Amino acid sequence: MLNIANLSARVAGKNILNGIDLRINAGEVHAIMGPNGSGKSTLAQVLAGREDYEVTGGSVQFLDQDLLALSAEERARAGLFLGFQYPVEIPGVNNVYLLKAALNAKRKAAGEPEVDAYEFLALIKQKMKFMEMSETFLSRGVNEGFSGGEKKRNEILQMLVLEPKLAILDETDSGLDIDALKIVSKGVNSLRDPTRAVVLVTHYQRLLDYIEPDYVHVLSGGRILKSGDKSLALELERRGYDWVRASLVA
Amino acid sequence: MSAAAYSRLDPPQSPALRSFEAQWQSRTRDSLHAWREPAMQRFLGLGLPTTRDESWRYTNLRRLAAQSFLESSEAAALRAATRATALRDGALRIAIVNGYPQLAGVAAIDGIEISSLRDMARLDPGALGGYLQTTSDTDAQRWALLNTALFVDGLFIKVRSRVTTPLVLVHTTEGAAGTASHPLIIVEASRGSTATIIEQFADTAATSSLCNAVTHLHLDTDAEIEHYRIFATSPDASHIDTLNIRQQARSRCKQFTITQGGGLVRTNLASDLLGEHARLDSFALLVGHGARHVDCHNVARHAVPHTQSRQTARSIASGTSRVIFNSKVVVESGASHSESRQSSRGLLLSPEAEIDTRPQLEIHTDEVKCAHGATTGRLDPNMLFYMLSRGIDRATAQSLLVYAFLADVLTDMASAETRADVETGLIAQLPDSQLLQEFR
Repeated sequence: MLNIANLSARVAGKNILNGIDLRINAGEVHAIMGPNGSGKSTLAQVLAGREDYEVTGGSVQFLDQDLLALSAEERARAGLFLGFQYPVEIPGVNNVYLLKAALNAKRKAAGEPEVDAYEFLALIKQKMKFMEMSETFLSRGVNEGFSGGEKKRNEILQMLVLEPKLAILDETDSGLDIDALKIVSKGVNSLRDPTRAVVLVTHYQRLLDYIEPDYVHVLSGGRILKSGDKSLALELERRGYDWVRASLVA
Repeated sequence: MSAAAYSRLDPPQSPALRSFEAQWQSRTRDSLHAWREPAMQRFLGLGLPTTRDESWRYTNLRRLAAQSFLESSEAAALRAATRATALRDGALRIAIVNGYPQLAGVAAIDGIEISSLRDMARLDPGALGGYLQTTSDTDAQRWALLNTALFVDGLFIKVRSRVTTPLVLVHTTEGAAGTASHPLIIVEASRGSTATIIEQFADTAATSSLCNAVTHLHLDTDAEIEHYRIFATSPDASHIDTLNIRQQARSRCKQFTITQGGGLVRTNLASDLLGEHARLDSFALLVGHGARHVDCHNVARHAVPHTQSRQTARSIASGTSRVIFNSKVVVESGASHSESRQSSRGLLLSPEAEIDTRPQLEIHTDEVKCAHGATTGRLDPNMLFYMLSRGIDRATAQSLLVYAFLADVLTDMASAETRADVETGLIAQLPDSQLLQEFR
C-alpha cells in the first residue's frame, strides 16, 4: 500500500529525514517510535503533503501512485488521512461543515454523488455516539475551545467518517487520560480490516497495549534504526532509546 | 432673492466644488435658509478635504474632486419609484431615491411615525434646523455641511415604543452619470423605545454617482436602537456617509457598518455618550475588493461617567484595494469609570492590497478602562493545511477561512433575516463565492 524508499526531507533549511525506507501492506498496523526530534512528526507531515516541508530525495508509492506528485488535498482524496498531533482550531468554520465538505470532496473525486444531508447527519451522529462525543460538538467551530482529549477524539471521528485506506496518527495518544485513550483506541481498532493500514506515531508503549501493532520501527536522526514486532516496543519501554543506539554501535 | 447672495474668501478650485457651488446658486431660498447658508459658506471656505487633513490622511479625493456633479432630480426619482423592490417578509421597506422618500402606499406600523423632511421644513423649520450641521471644526464633518446646504428631502422617524418590525431604508441614486444626492435621515428614539433600522445603499442606474448621506440617531433614556448601513453599490459609485449618534442615560446603540460594494466608501461615525450607562457597540465589516477604497472613521466621545463603547472591525482586502479603520475614543474630564474597547483585525488576501488600522485614545480623566488591539495578517497556513489534509480544495478552504474571519461579527446581529441578507451580500464579494454558498 505504501512504499517509502530512501526518503529525505528538510524543514527550514535543516535536514530532518535522512533516508527512510518503509514498506506497509494492507491490513497491517505499524508503530513508529523514537525520541523527541527524531523526525517522526516530520515524516507524518511530509506524507500528508505539507508544502513547507521540502522533499530532497527518495520516492513514495501509495496505492500505485507517486504520492509526492500529489497535492495535500489529492492525497486525502486518494485515501490518506493524517491525525494531527496538534489539531488546529478554526473558529467560525463549523465542525460538521468541514466534515461534510471533506466527505463530499472525497466522493466527488471517486465519481460518487454528494452525500445526502439527512443521511450525513445520521452517519455523523452514529459515529459521535461511538466516540462518546456530545452532540454539542455538532454546532461548534472546528476544534474551537475543545480540550486536548476532545480534539484527539474529533480527529478519530473525522477518520471514521472519511474511512481512509491509510491512517497516519501522529501522537494521537499524547495528552489523553486512560478513559480517552481507550475510546480513541476503540475508534482506531474499529477501522482495522484487511483493506486498510494504520501508522501509529508515538513516544510511548502505552498506546500499543490498546492498539496492537504488527510491526514496530525505531526512528532516530531521521533514519529507521531498528524494526521488529511488538516485543520491540516493550524492550524499548524497559531499556530506553539509548539501548537501540548502543546496540547498533556494538 | 437668490441664495447666491453671499461672500466667500477663496474661489473654489476643483470641478466638484464648482459644481456644488453652482447647484447652491441655482436654488431658491427656502425656510431653512438660515441654516443652509452658513453651512455652505463654511463648506466652501474649507474646500474639499485633502490628505493633509488629519482625518483624511489615508483617503485621496483627487479623482472625486475632478468630477463635476449633477444635481439629482425628483423626476428621475419618481420614475424609478415605480419599479420599487419587493418587500422582505416582516420588514417595513421604504425606497429613498435621490434622497426623496417614496412614502405613498407605505404601511403604518404601531410605535413609529414617519414623515418627510420636506413637509417638516414647511411646517416646523425651527425643529428641523435644530438637527442641521451649520458649522464644523472637524475635518470629518465637512461633508455634513454640504448635506445641510443641498439636501432636498429625507425622513424624520420618531420611534415611540418597542417596535419589533425592522425598518429598511433602501437608498438609490437615479439619473445621468455623475448624479450627486444628499439624503438626510433623522431618527428620534423616545424614552424606553426600541427599533431596528437598516439603511441599504443599493445599486442603481446612475453611474459615477456620489451619495453624501447624513443620518442622525438620537437615543433618549433607556432607548435601544440597532442600526445598519450597508453599502452594496457598484465599483464606480462613491459614498461619503456621516452618522451622528447622541445617547442619553442607559441607552444602547448597536451599529453595523458593512461595505460590500462601492468604489470609494468613506464612513464617519461620531457618537456622543451623554448620559450615564449609555453604551455604544459599533461593528465594521469592511470588504475591499478589486480597486476599492474603504475608509471607516469612528469617534466615540465619553462625556459623562460610567459610559461604555466598543468598536470592532474586521477588514478584508484583496486585489489592489485599500481598507482603513480609524477608531478614536475620547474620554472627557469627569467621565470617570468609563470603559472602551477597540479591536481591529485585518486579513490581506493579495500582495498588492493594503490595510491600515489606527486606534487612538484621548483620555482627559483618571479611572477609566480603555483597551485596544489591532492585528493584520494573511490566512493562517496551519488552518489552511488542516483543511487541505481533509481533502478540501484550496479555493474552498480559503473562502471558508475568509468567511470564518467575518463570522464572529455576524453573530452579534440580533435579526436573523438581516444577518442572512448581509451574509448573502458579503459572500458574493468573496473570492470563489459560489463554493461558499453550500456552507451557509
